Amino acid sequence: MSEMWINMGPQHPMTHGLWNLRVKIDGEIVLDVDPEMGYLHRGIEKISEDRHYNEIITLMDRTCYVAGIAWEHLFILAAEQALHVEPPERALWIRMLSEEFQRVASHLMWYAAFVQDIGLMSPFLYGMRDRDLVLDLFQSYTGGRLTYEYMRVGGVRNDLPPGFAEQARKVCDWLLDRFVEYDRLCSGSDIFHRRCDDLGVVKAQDCIRLGITGPMLRSAGVPRDLRKDRPYAAYDRVDFDVATAETADVTGRYVVRMEELRQSVRIIRQALDWLDKNPGPVMADNVPRWMGAPYAPVGREGYLLKREYPKGVGFSAIEEPHGEALAYVVNEGGEHPYRVKLKSPVFVNLSAARHYLVGYRVADIPPIMGSVDICVGEVDR
Amino acid sequence: MAESEPTPSSNPVLWVAKPLVTAARQFGKSLFRPSTIVYPFERLEDPKFRGAVRVAPGKPIGVGQVWDNYRGVHALNIDTCISCNLCAFSCPDLCIDMVTVPGGDPRHPKKCPQIDYGKCSYCGFCSDACPEGCLTMTTRYELSVSKRADMIYSPERLREVFNAKLPMSPIRVERPKNEDAILLDAPLCIGCNACARDCPTKCITMVDLPKPVPKGGEKLPKRIWKEPVVNDSDCVRCGTCISVCPKECLFWGTHR
Repeated sequence: MSEMWINMGPQHPMTHGLWNLRVKIDGEIVLDVDPEMGYLHRGIEKISEDRHYNEIITLMDRTCYVAGIAWEHLFILAAEQALHVEPPERALWIRMLSEEFQRVASHLMWYAAFVQDIGLMSPFLYGMRDRDLVLDLFQSYTGGRLTYEYMRVGGVRNDLPPGFAEQARKVCDWLLDRFVEYDRLCSGSDIFHRRCDDLGVVKAQDCIRLGITGPMLRSAGVPRDLRKDRPYAAYDRVDFDVATAETADVTGRYVVRMEELRQSVRIIRQALDWLDKNPGPVMADNVPRWMGAPYAPVGREGYLLKREYPKGVGFSAIEEPHGEALAYVVNEGGEHPYRVKLKSPVFVNLSAARHYLVGYRVADIPPIMGSVDICVGEVDR
Repeated sequence: MAESEPTPSSNPVLWVAKPLVTAARQFGKSLFRPSTIVYPFERLEDPKFRGAVRVAPGKPIGVGQVWDNYRGVHALNIDTCISCNLCAFSCPDLCIDMVTVPGGDPRHPKKCPQIDYGKCSYCGFCSDACPEGCLTMTTRYELSVSKRADMIYSPERLREVFNAKLPMSPIRVERPKNEDAILLDAPLCIGCNACARDCPTKCITMVDLPKPVPKGGEKLPKRIWKEPVVNDSDCVRCGTCISVCPKECLFWGTHR
């Protein structure tokens, strides 16, 4: 038979962004794949070396544009460790609340994109509509709908506005109703199962060997979740379950993400209850002003004025909506970090494409890649 | 590998019918509770969309819609601007230029921010940094222009936005209590008055120093026998004094 390489991307509806999947096919069967990333490289790590700590937050929002606050959280955790700053407790809970809302928004975005990959149109509109509720909530307390710029070294920018908890609870109730309907449309439908069952299987052993994390790993039955295994913020003080599935296929990833949505709502409700009972400051007291607010007064020649502060190294790992994200910040005592290193979960999940695409048909590629939940912004950084 | 056996029990009619029932329910609900508004005839900032969660019948879905702390176009109150430069310093995109506005002292002209919205990322750092609360962000979100030059908002145009009395963010970012202060390296100071002259809040006063009596052949340094004293409660920490100091004798430090 004749074999040939075809390019799916960089302009292809399957890619959900700017990357290229080279596919070697024999008729309809995929023989080999070669993912090519790097079309969206913006050099965020390098730009970070020339920026003030709080200015890097604007870059973190743009690292992953569907889960901006999760990346802010990731960087801030590492930066606080490097700068020896301890945030107040209320800020930790607000950050956790924000991250869970972001997980809901990101998973709803994934749901909308994924169902369109398998050929459904109505659920796409439902997913985008309900995500808008979460974005409205974000707008009410951060001021932004996509790029939030909310967290600061030593806390968060501002407290939740009055009346926020009530609105957020209503949205939680609304969303839980919606999730039932999502399931009726997708996992309750035989068409969905015929399309997605036994598709893109990566067994647990392979996932661990390849470094695949997040919902893809949990869909293979591995209960690995950094919120449980390496608690940060206030995750050790809330009750939630790690969603897992056994099938390790596209349906499994769907089931895991849907369960994660419900668990996120559970965490949000606990966080709202805690925040109601415990008012307090949201910004640490021992933060110098230039660090609390993004000030960088310039000197006479236009360079930044040098100020002394302790050296340090920060490392943080969070369970981002897409998987495990890591950040490493080295502070050599200057105004800017000496080095910022980010590890993207989607980059790893995407690099393993050969292990879950080979052997399937060309028409199966969009659902499988859709179930990976690609955000090219964080792949290329 | 990719094939799976169809479940024999399910009826193909049900495959289509079950999702359709859900979709029909959604369609019915959307007749009473629309998900969208008729922009531009209706706008999110209209009073009827403000307030509580819109998951009640007869109203579009959304949460209070455009809240007042949305970060849109800036509003500038030129009258209270003290030209401290903090907005321009704090801008990560370097989109703020300080330009001269009429009405200042000719020797020390008043400068106010001019914002290039082609570069602005709406992070809100400038309004957080503003010590006087004169640069704020409004809920205006419509920015389309036909010329690139129109993206640059001069202080006068920003004042027009202010005069439009749009809702503005009620959030004021708290100042950290442990602030850096301006400290003086006294032996380097020549008492030139540059810091006190350029201080936007006039919180620096020059106090007289007692002129020491030279002992023996000792030579006194050439200087004016005055020294700046910073009133910390009025100081906005803009760093202008540090920038203008010819001898670099002012510096940031933890408070005494």
